Amino acid sequence: MTAASPPLARRRLLVPARLSASRALVAVAVALLAVVAAAAVLAPVLAPHDPTAVDLLAANAPASATHPLGTDQNGRDILSRLLFGARSSLVGPAIVVAASMALGVLLALAGAWYGGWVDAAAARVVDVVFAFPGLVLAIVAATMFGTGFVAPVVALSVAYVPVIARVVRAAALHERHLPYVAALRLQGVSTPRIWLRHLLPNLSGLLVVQAGVGFGYAMLDLAAIAYLGLGPQPPSSDWGVMVAEGQSSILEGFPQQSLYGSLVVLATVVSLNLVSGALADRFGVAAVTQ
Amino acid sequence: MSEELLRLRDLRLTLPARGGPREILRGVDLTVGPGEAVGLVGESGSGKSMTVRAVTRLLPAGARVSGEVRLAGRDVLALDDAGLRRLRGTSVALVFQDPRAHVNPVHTVGDFLVENAVRVARLPRDEAVTRALAALRDVGIDDGQRRLHQYPHELSGGLLQRVTIAAALLQGPDLVLADEPTTALDVTTQEEVMAVLDEQRRERGMGMLFISHDLDLADAVCDRIAVMKDGEVVEEQPADRLRAAASHPYTVMLMRARPSLTEPVRRAPRPAADGQAPDGQAPDGQAPDGQAPDGRAPEGRPPDVLRVRGLRKVYRVRRPARGAEELVAVEGADLVVPDGGSVAVVGTSGSGKTTLAHMVVGLVRPTAGTVEVQGVEWSAGRLSARERRRRGGVVQMVFQDPYSSLDRRQTVRQCLVEVLAVHTALAGAAREARVLELLEQVGLGAEHAGQRPRSLSGGQRQRVAIARALAAGPRLLILDEAVAALDVSIQAQVLRLLERIRAELGVAYLFISHDLPVVRRVCEQVVVMDRGRVVESGPVEQVLERPAAAYTRDLIASVPREGWRPRRRARSRSVVSTV
Repeated sequence: MTAASPPLARRRLLVPARLSASRALVAVAVALLAVVAAAAVLAPVLAPHDPTAVDLLAANAPASATHPLGTDQNGRDILSRLLFGARSSLVGPAIVVAASMALGVLLALAGAWYGGWVDAAAARVVDVVFAFPGLVLAIVAATMFGTGFVAPVVALSVAYVPVIARVVRAAALHERHLPYVAALRLQGVSTPRIWLRHLLPNLSGLLVVQAGVGFGYAMLDLAAIAYLGLGPQPPSSDWGVMVAEGQSSILEGFPQQSLYGSLVVLATVVSLNLVSGALADRFGVAAVTQ
Repeated sequence: MSEELLRLRDLRLTLPARGGPREILRGVDLTVGPGEAVGLVGESGSGKSMTVRAVTRLLPAGARVSGEVRLAGRDVLALDDAGLRRLRGTSVALVFQDPRAHVNPVHTVGDFLVENAVRVARLPRDEAVTRALAALRDVGIDDGQRRLHQYPHELSGGLLQRVTIAAALLQGPDLVLADEPTTALDVTTQEEVMAVLDEQRRERGMGMLFISHDLDLADAVCDRIAVMKDGEVVEEQPADRLRAAASHPYTVMLMRARPSLTEPVRRAPRPAADGQAPDGQAPDGQAPDGQAPDGRAPEGRPPDVLRVRGLRKVYRVRRPARGAEELVAVEGADLVVPDGGSVAVVGTSGSGKTTLAHMVVGLVRPTAGTVEVQGVEWSAGRLSARERRRRGGVVQMVFQDPYSSLDRRQTVRQCLVEVLAVHTALAGAAREARVLELLEQVGLGAEHAGQRPRSLSGGQRQRVAIARALAAGPRLLILDEAVAALDVSIQAQVLRLLERIRAELGVAYLFISHDLPVVRRVCEQVVVMDRGRVVESGPVEQVLERPAAAYTRDLIASVPREGWRPRRRARSRSVVSTV
């Protein structure tokens, strides 16, 4: 007899189907992120109109050849606003991720490497920051230092440190105690070199995944802050601002501005999470969400 | 039906892999009669574990099986899920290599033992507990009542493995599948566990399929031995005739490869360092730090490369409610490694031998005592990169696990170049030539230079680790169980390599090991450690042939060899593992 056992046969059928579906989905997500990134870079070239050009006669116009996505209550072209909005909506999270990763990884490596009181001190710092939700911290920062782009970004950069620090510390601790690190130390390789040439490259998979997940969260949080009116101010075309500005028109029957603004945020964040998840599988690490 | 308990006929197994399915088993034929013990011996990758998994159909996803697996008359490959569960719970029991990985750590030993009886056999809990206690007594655990309430982490490895054997017995199986059940244990513990398994199997008339990489061990407890290689059984012999009748070259190689405790050792001639060369003080011309070698080097002999005096390590363990407790890892060890000599430190796990080695190289800071290298005392504590570099040029270390002792992202060349950049001024073509020379010294070729660890075998990785250590040009190599993780045939090659390197380069070895036959083969002196204390030391022949300490005698007696049988010693000091 040569038949494989029944449960195995069933499993064989299921696995490739699920895999290919998720692969296609990931491909779509990657494409979408590429489009968003291109939009941010090429906004001046692609945008059919000036994003701040008011045309009160064409207010709340429906989609047409001149305004592919219609206009808002001030008659500004929604497509152009979305394209330009991609800039602040992407740069903000990028800064948050870069800053929080830099700080978090430094705390994590120092804690894992030196142990003892260094580790304890890093853990205390992380615990204290962890106690404040990012959004609350950002609101406090905005009320103290004024609204705008900078205060929320700085606040979120600090607020995101704990998650990064904890996840990376665990991985770094494991890595640090592998015999190859001991071998490098016995060879007399300098500590900075061990960190930069050995520990960080071996943690890079995890770092990339965490950056992706963090980017998505930062984008949502920044959009929420902008929506609350504490971030970039009108006439900025930040996506969060667009959602906020458009809500008065919803009741008048013109939902397009808020709708497209939220859709773009949603699509970008979902795509980021899908891609991060796929990378996590690929690198064999777990993506940790907040 | 036939009288066979287990019959495998033309068992084939393929697993999905990158680049197409891989054939793991290529037509395995094997039988186990009722009450018969069959040893399945082979090296890693031979397919012995997959054979066992196929018997219970515990196979990885995507595995394709064909052929016949018949257990107690039932066609295992045709069973449905319910039938399979009944089979696994009643007719066949498994004992795995690492008990800690196979016992759920959040349940007590009691829960673990009665689970099967309550869930599958539907016994009342009281009765299940009574039976569990009886089974624990059978495997030599008398204080079962206390053990039932303990968690796996509170038991030592040997004790826990006896618990899993008790669990296997409780099912009242016809067949026990034991997959390397003692490989993760110390030799002395191995003997205990094997004695228990052997005794219970005989008493209960169970059949056993015993998987092992250790031919001597399988030979001691089995009626018949099957040798596996590359997914096939290449030889099958009754155990008592194996040594005389083995005909397959692979079997013969396996038997020869393993160093023995009794055969005479032909030792490589000792490197020149011994005595007669009055011209050189230390082999590398001058003592470190510009200090003249002190008066401890009589008649122009180079100072001993390593002198360890009164080395002691105490860990303070904080325990809730009990305050701090002191745990002595090493209690005043003394040790001398002569220049170009080879000294072994042997002992079971927890004897402190690895802590001792780590203190010598500075990975662990000693509580007391001194380490003197080439006549210069090495201070303890956090060292600058410069100081580490200086010391690294004298003492290097090779670790046990060849997988994690290399940076998985570095090619072999990058790995060696990094060391050469630290310790030499070589660059360009000269450095490349040195890389190739090092690879050649460890029996690798230029084609390995561009490879990363994942495409190298375990033996090759260990060779790279040795080359990396040699790249620093050390006078002393600390080998921490450096061949323990290797297959028998690979181990033999690496041992030959180590002998050659010592003869050619005059590097001294401090050889940390639990493996007496290997130590006897490689080393001249031996230091025996038990629970942090040096209990005996001297020339290898003397210590192994006329051991003075009881601990050494136990250690020697528990090494499997021709005509050896595992014996149960006095009801063991039931050691509860701490931490």
